[in-house]
Amino acid sequence: MEQFNIKRIGSFIYRDIILLKGAILTTLSVASAIFFIVFLFSLRGDHQISSGEFMSIFGKFYIALGVLFIFSTFKEAHNQKSNHLYFSLPVSSYERIAAAWLSTFVVYTLVFSILGFLVGQITIILGSMFSETNFHLLPIFSESYWQLVKVYFVIQPVFLYGAIAFNKNRVGKTLLVVVLLVFGLIVLNMMLFGMLNYGYDVFSGEGLASEAFDKTGQDFSGMGKGFFMGIFVPLMLLASYFKIVEKEV
Amino acid sequence: MDFDDSKPIYLQIVDFFYENILVKRWQEDERIPSVREIAVMVEVNPNTAIRAFTYLQEQEVIYNKRGIGYFVSENGYNKVLDIKRKEFMEELLPDIFKKMGLLDIKFEEVKDSFNQYLNNIDHEDK
Amino acid sequence: MIQIKDLRFYYPKSKIILDNITLDFIPGNIYGLFGKNGEGKSTLMKIMTGLLFPKAGYYRVLGENISGRNVKCLQDIFMVPEDFELPGLKISTYEQVNSPFYPRFSRDQFYKLIEEFKLSTDENISTLSFGNKKKVLIAFGIATNTKLLLMDEPTNGLDIPSKSQFRKIMALAVDEGKCIIISTHQVRDLHSLINHVVILDQSKVAFDQPLSNVSEHLWFGKPRRDTKESIIYSETSFGGKAMLFREDRDETEVDLELLFNAVLSESNRINNALNTFHDGTI
Repeated sequence: MEQFNIKRIGSFIYRDIILLKGAILTTLSVASAIFFIVFLFSLRGDHQISSGEFMSIFGKFYIALGVLFIFSTFKEAHNQKSNHLYFSLPVSSYERIAAAWLSTFVVYTLVFSILGFLVGQITIILGSMFSETNFHLLPIFSESYWQLVKVYFVIQPVFLYGAIAFNKNRVGKTLLVVVLLVFGLIVLNMMLFGMLNYGYDVFSGEGLASEAFDKTGQDFSGMGKGFFMGIFVPLMLLASYFKIVEKEV
Repeated sequence: MDFDDSKPIYLQIVDFFYENILVKRWQEDERIPSVREIAVMVEVNPNTAIRAFTYLQEQEVIYNKRGIGYFVSENGYNKVLDIKRKEFMEELLPDIFKKMGLLDIKFEEVKDSFNQYLNNIDHEDK
Repeated sequence: MIQIKDLRFYYPKSKIILDNITLDFIPGNIYGLFGKNGEGKSTLMKIMTGLLFPKAGYYRVLGENISGRNVKCLQDIFMVPEDFELPGLKISTYEQVNSPFYPRFSRDQFYKLIEEFKLSTDENISTLSFGNKKKVLIAFGIATNTKLLLMDEPTNGLDIPSKSQFRKIMALAVDEGKCIIISTHQVRDLHSLINHVVILDQSKVAFDQPLSNVSEHLWFGKPRRDTKESIIYSETSFGGKAMLFREDRDETEVDLELLFNAVLSESNRINNALNTFHDGTI
């Protein structure tokens, strides 16, 4: 396993994190402060932080900061003065992609969830000391939490690809690609539905059409998720791999 | 070490050895620095230093004790003295004679200068 | 050990930068890579580090192909670029995060070199001058103990005492297993270190000879008036230095600047001369 070494992936993730240490600490501190203030407001009235309240603020930050993190890890690869040393480092392209996925999805999700939980829990403890709040565990593992992680799981490789592929205005270009992709998929879904359910004659009667759209939701949601999770994500990671292999300084 | 532009560097290193031996900084049968140490000292490629060592070995000024290092030969001092004398007589003097002819300097004048030089040295010593 | 054969490179929609490059680098030597600006020195170094991909040709390091940035190959290559940025870390932290990737990295050697360069391991790299940043990278590059060490203009940005330190360090660094290639315009800084000269001109290898071979057959200096017929190249500037066939003259030190200028104007004549001598036909 010359080209794929777990220890080397670990070293590479460690290197990325140390290189971005300053930015990471600042961002996490600011996020914690904002969480804390928002949680304090949540405690007013019902003296508790509901999972909905938690998710509304956590969700806003989780994806945005994740995307920011992805782009930061590849900044070195695009800087004319540091990309020599970045690409000549003996780390294979497989390892680079694996490290990027592990750090910007797995490690990031873990760390950011724990941070959100800890800040919330501390707010609750402080609240129980200085107000009528009763101590309770912050309910973070709600259905909408897992939904959010799934969404990030799917879009993370797209941004990973964008972070590698584009040299300038990387965030903007990637967002544009995502919008186009989503739009394209919706059109595709509708066309597929139209073809597969031709018998319904969806496009003539109003009643039937609405029934058909309901059916789209039912029939395609499972399949769609399977497609995204099982095929789309690995495909995007593979595309990112090829992008990094062919990258020259 | 500053190098003369024209003389091969390895020969300049050889001269550096000769000087050290003539002023008795390196005594006979004494261990001298290694190839690598010399290369670092005079800032040259070790290959150039090796060439100087080989040359000095051929001149029997130094010898190699396998696994220990290089030493000044038993009669290294005399060897160097012979070499440098020969160099003086055969290379330096003809040049000086040629210049004397060109500038019309008589041998007597040189002799006077030389005596004066000896006097000065005597005074300095006292 | 490091073989390049018929290598060709050009940027999209641009003229050929490297054409038919064939070179063989042997460990234990310090190669000087010379050429006018834009003759492809840095490009060749980038190709040799896997940062650019040749359009055609063969390149192997110890028999390993670098294509796809093969880890095994990259573990034996380090390049000190001409211009670079280092992250704002302490010198010791920089070592900690980057050294695990090089199997033969020597921490002792690195910290000794840092000490020799009069830097402190607690210093933050971002507060250092460019010359001192370069010293950190040179120390790191040497300590990786890669088989191939490439340096693009290493003495640019170094002050005069540092250049002397650099030469000492390089004299110590080169050994039988290591091949060092230095590209430079500062011929004088590195003259005493280089023992093999490669000159690139008009996207081709114009010259590739060990200096021992050059000094054996060519003579550098101010010739006497009666030596006209063996002059290969001369400069009319003050001093009137010239390059001659050595014949039975005493060996002289190779004047690299003169050799470089001579090769640019008379490469065929010089190469023919040296190669014939080399084959032993004269």
